Amino acid sequence: MWRKSTEAQPSSPVSGTTTSIKPQDVPQASPSRTPSQSVPVSSPSASETAAAAVGRGTSRVASGLKIQGEFSGTSDLYIDGEVQGRIRLQNARVTVGPNGRVQADIEAREIFVEGSVQGSLKAGERAHFGASSRVVGSVLTPRIAIDDGARLRGKVETSPASPARESMAAKSETESETLQPVAASVKGE
Amino acid sequence: MNWTAKTRPGAAATAAGAAPAKPGPSVSSSTSANVRISNGLKEFLSLLSDTPQARVLDLGPVWQSTVSFFIEKAYRISTEDLLRAWKDFLTGEEESLRKAPVGAEAIKVSPSMLADKFLETALQYPEKSFHGALAWDLLDYFDPEVVPRLMERLSRLLHPGGALLALFHSRPVERFHRYRVVDSQTIEWLPSPTIAVHAHVFQNREILSLFGEFRSSKTFVGRDQVREALFLK
Repeated sequence: MWRKSTEAQPSSPVSGTTTSIKPQDVPQASPSRTPSQSVPVSSPSASETAAAAVGRGTSRVASGLKIQGEFSGTSDLYIDGEVQGRIRLQNARVTVGPNGRVQADIEAREIFVEGSVQGSLKAGERAHFGASSRVVGSVLTPRIAIDDGARLRGKVETSPASPARESMAAKSETESETLQPVAASVKGE
Repeated sequence: MNWTAKTRPGAAATAAGAAPAKPGPSVSSSTSANVRISNGLKEFLSLLSDTPQARVLDLGPVWQSTVSFFIEKAYRISTEDLLRAWKDFLTGEEESLRKAPVGAEAIKVSPSMLADKFLETALQYPEKSFHGALAWDLLDYFDPEVVPRLMERLSRLLHPGGALLALFHSRPVERFHRYRVVDSQTIEWLPSPTIAVHAHVFQNREILSLFGEFRSSKTFVGRDQVREALFLK
């Protein structure tokens, strides 16, 4: 079953297309284990928060994939590969895993970042930047959590909570004060 | 005008559950964090208080406590870790020099040329974007030839009447620290991995000269001989 769905995956990179990914279209990055299988014990890592945010029905862009285009829909999205374009999942959660590299504007209910993001982030409920996160761009969210070690280059602004999500989207179209993300790579520690 | 910065009694103890702090900048043993009263910050905030939704530029690393502090006041905060960006920039420059073909004509690069190149990508905000800027002690860590270029850019980013808070050490610093806001009159500095060595101890006259484009200033000297300088554009 896993092999079949992997084969159904379009070859990367997918350029210049509008991409709507449903949960059943995208294979999980690693096969799930049956209860009888032993699970290797790993030391706590920075990605735990992000990993904890990934549940069933979450679409994944696995490590090694590179996608260009626009994401829209209602499914939660976990990105551990490379994404360029635009992500609009206003009622869902977007998680950028530790290996994720995103050059896109993200609009979602919740945004978790452990990897690298360059673009404008708009969260309807909350944004969380993990210790290994590298963000260049503006952040608009009603609530924000920043772990020690996170690196952010840009503006942080609070917005009204979820009921104003639609107006927030409208505001994003007209907002003139949004700082342009600087076209510079952010290097690791 | 000088005031003596005082340590808020028990501030570190509250944070770490340790014994009440003694006078002078306190050290919390469990977190290795120093907490102190900052008259400069207090004054800085007082200057911003008349501006609704003031925009603040923090030139240090992003911290939850600093961001929360300002957004709870309905301010808008931008962060740019200028020293980290400078270090990354220099690393990149060194790398490109290393990769230059053997025998290529050597180009002499002065600190001011490097500063100009750095500022092509750093501090890229529209003019008069901010009502206040927190420079912490980072000016001490830049080459003295680079600092005037930075000051010129920072001055352009501030609104007329905008405030800039900077700290200057009175003697070479042995350990690298980062700063964050704890509350409206308390800052905390945390020992951090060194990303730059202390480059210069500015004399008061040099500081006033650096901020020549600013119209007024106040200096607060702490018992630890750290000078908090507040300048108004």
